[in-house]
Amino acid sequence: MSDVSYIRRPNRVLTVYAYIFLIVLYLPVLSIPLFAFNDSIYVRFPLQGFTTQWFVQLWERESLWDALGNSLRVGFFVAALSTALGVLAARAITRTRLPGQSAIVAFVMLPIVMPGIIFGVALLVLLSRIGIPLSLYTVTLGHMIVCLPFAIATLLPRFEGFDKSMEEASADLGENGWFTFWRVTFPIVLPGIVASLLLTFTISFDEVIMAFFLTGTEPTLPMYIWSQLRFPREFPSVLALSTIILFVSFIMVFAALYIGRMGLQKNDR
Amino acid sequence: MDIIDNLNAVKRGKLSRRAFNRSLFAAGVGLFSAPLLPRRAMAAEGDHPTFFTWGGYDIAEIYQPYEAKHGVLPNFSIFGGTEEALTKMRGGFVVDAAHPCNVGLKRWVDSGLFQPVDTSRLANWGDVMPELVAMEGNDNGAGRPWMVPFDWGGTSITYRTDIFELEGEESWDMLWDQRYAGRLGSLASGGDAWWCGAIKAGVDFKDIASDEAFERISAVMREQRPLIRVYTDDTTTLEQALASGEMAAAMTWNSSAVLLQSEEVPVKFAKPKEGQLTWVCGIMIHKDAPNLDKTYEMIDALLSVETGQFMINDYGYGHSNLKSFDAFDDETLVSLGLSKNPAEILGEGHFMIPQSQDWETRMNETFEMIKAGF
Amino acid sequence: MSDAVSTQGSIPPTQTERRNGLGRLIARSEVLRGYLMLSPAMIIMIIGVLMPFLILVAMSFWTRDGFDFDTTLTLTNYGRAIDEPIFGAFLARSFWVSGIATVATVLLCYPMAYYVAFHVHRNKMLWIIMMTLPFWTSYLLRVFAWKVILGYEGVINSSLLTAGVIEAPLEFLLYSQTAVIITLAHAWAAFAILPLYVSLEKIDRSLLEAAADLGDGPTKRFLRITLPLSLPGVISATFLIFIPTTGDYITPALLGGPDGAMIGNLIQLQFGAVNNWPMGATLSIILMLWIAAVALVFLFVTRKSKESLI
Repeated sequence: MSDVSYIRRPNRVLTVYAYIFLIVLYLPVLSIPLFAFNDSIYVRFPLQGFTTQWFVQLWERESLWDALGNSLRVGFFVAALSTALGVLAARAITRTRLPGQSAIVAFVMLPIVMPGIIFGVALLVLLSRIGIPLSLYTVTLGHMIVCLPFAIATLLPRFEGFDKSMEEASADLGENGWFTFWRVTFPIVLPGIVASLLLTFTISFDEVIMAFFLTGTEPTLPMYIWSQLRFPREFPSVLALSTIILFVSFIMVFAALYIGRMGLQKNDR
Repeated sequence: MDIIDNLNAVKRGKLSRRAFNRSLFAAGVGLFSAPLLPRRAMAAEGDHPTFFTWGGYDIAEIYQPYEAKHGVLPNFSIFGGTEEALTKMRGGFVVDAAHPCNVGLKRWVDSGLFQPVDTSRLANWGDVMPELVAMEGNDNGAGRPWMVPFDWGGTSITYRTDIFELEGEESWDMLWDQRYAGRLGSLASGGDAWWCGAIKAGVDFKDIASDEAFERISAVMREQRPLIRVYTDDTTTLEQALASGEMAAAMTWNSSAVLLQSEEVPVKFAKPKEGQLTWVCGIMIHKDAPNLDKTYEMIDALLSVETGQFMINDYGYGHSNLKSFDAFDDETLVSLGLSKNPAEILGEGHFMIPQSQDWETRMNETFEMIKAGF
Repeated sequence: MSDAVSTQGSIPPTQTERRNGLGRLIARSEVLRGYLMLSPAMIIMIIGVLMPFLILVAMSFWTRDGFDFDTTLTLTNYGRAIDEPIFGAFLARSFWVSGIATVATVLLCYPMAYYVAFHVHRNKMLWIIMMTLPFWTSYLLRVFAWKVILGYEGVINSSLLTAGVIEAPLEFLLYSQTAVIITLAHAWAAFAILPLYVSLEKIDRSLLEAAADLGDGPTKRFLRITLPLSLPGVISATFLIFIPTTGDYITPALLGGPDGAMIGNLIQLQFGAVNNWPMGATLSIILMLWIAAVALVFLFVTRKSKESLI
């Protein structure tokens, strides 16, 4: 595609819109660090003065760190697993004509049409009948159910969108199935996979409703925050932690981009 | 994010697919084998009790004797409300001890999930206020209590002295004052609000289960509903609204008023002429508690004077150990809404009477309908 | 990935002929291979969805009996759900609130996704990540942050007061359906942007070039090519937002006030304070049926309009 193409021409209105969009998107999020440095246990205006005491307090609050660790572990686990299963499922759905396929797809997508609270309670009853104690594994199972349909929903358009003839061409050239997948399919669906990883991690990291019913003695971060809402004096340190999370994810994402910059620029169309 | 790195390396052809594959596989094995086990060596600490409690009760300050002896705190599992907690335990969640309040006592006992407490194993039992133990339904029939009282307090009206113009005495009418429509707040849980409604409607707590009581309280609650800005169970919301002047008065526990006063917000915790609502929360032991011995040690730590002083001073709640009050002078206690003679406060207020599951269900159904505008 | 890895492991690098019997069967039968690839997801779903779902359906025909359930099958709960106006009113309100939130989110996110897909040429990934980064923070905290912004002494009221636009703080901002809609739209924006972006990014640019060469103006190009081809993204974005938000109870509980409560709150109450699990199960089934009906109508309408567009 040539650079003189009309599509490449910048669109001023859209650009302005995009920046306003980003500002509005970040406005609530940025109020979190603002109040993390505010010298009052109440989150309100006007600001009372600058303090770092909430961050100091944070170090002493081991239960908060435990909760963060739990959420991170569950999140990574759920993202990797549901995306992997999602890739297989999405490929199977788009590439092969299976008897009863639409019923299977409808079934796999069912969690999207059910309020999470129902799964929470139903799973809790189920687990207790079987006699499985509540733990981070049960939270992970709950999150898998929520995330898998999202992973598939994110991946499906990618798989549907590319020309099957490319795969067929590869197969005609004598490449085996795995090689075809790796060389042809994978690069095309890669944005979908990245999106799915991000999406499922985000969902799991945020999820409260399933976690409430399925958490054992180790709370996930949202569960911890939910319980802290009742205690204003604990709340600023929750804000302080959120500030750190925000900061760390910024650094992480930018580092990843810096290292991978060359490849991304060349490979984006 | 090294996933993205890897992917880019593959794209550029710098990382062979086989190598990528290998690293992906290794990452997968790592993910599966290590991560979900608790970070701290829970297995080693597994013989410590798990306490199922509110957030804010998981701090070292209230378990000092326990920590001194064992070097660690008990394990905690946190709930946001006792209803949620009971639901979870009925679903098969086993803990050593849990933290309900007196109004739920009967239902918790009826659930069959708890064992009576052997008070002879609690060194501090002798100092526990008998008024708190003698709750209806707290005796198992053999002289043992189901629940060890721990913290107690009142539900009343916290109001802005600079905004709310008091007409006559402090009274529950303040939360039904038309002048402040849209500037009043209420706790959402029927466990508080419905009982306050009963006081306002003049219903004797002994008759609270009658049909007539339901009608009278419902009428009062319906009358109040359009005046209420928000019903909420998180006290932070009510406190912030009071602090900002968004609300002129709200139904709260004493801790809210204490906290607002310490932030120098001009508020007062009303002593309504009809009397405030008093509650007590305590500890119940699960029938299958895996660490029974240390559970008793933990309960004893909660009943200790050190813990009591912290609860009174920092949370503004009453404590069940009478000796905890000795460290404070009268003035301090009065400013916290407490007294040197705590039984006095309890006597002045209306003490909630445990109710059956059927009553609780009916009350909640009715109150939820009213809150929803039906 | 695991079965793909093992497939590779079974293939000697020289030729594909020396596979074992099962491998050959799998390789030859596309259907079998398809099922094999679907099976891990299916197993998770059967354990986590099918079995709990069956319990749920059964329970919706039971009644509460103290702490236990009376397992005699009866339609009592469904009767109540139809007779008592509160359930219908809450259902309608939930659809209204999340419907508005969904439409707003998709409309607001579409130009954004379009911008990134068509007008950002460098650091596309940076933009995608920038747009999803806020969602790494806790949902609860973001809801709480909106409380700060919409609140009595919040950002909006403070700045309007300072600017002298208003005399007293606007109270309708918080504890209202407006607050719920704004918060939902913001909280779920990532769920709209990702599918929209993926579908827009995939559009073959040469189609647009061709249309331009044939003399189509920008509007016509958008309506005839971009919009229809991005419809799958629009549809998945709509589903991804509309369906979970109808069942949400956290946002209405924190921001909705007395008039903002939704069906999710009612269901949660049945499982919590009201302690009538069978009624909660019934309400969930009814909610699901309604969602399914709305979804079908929506799909039908979009398919029709897609046909007419092309």
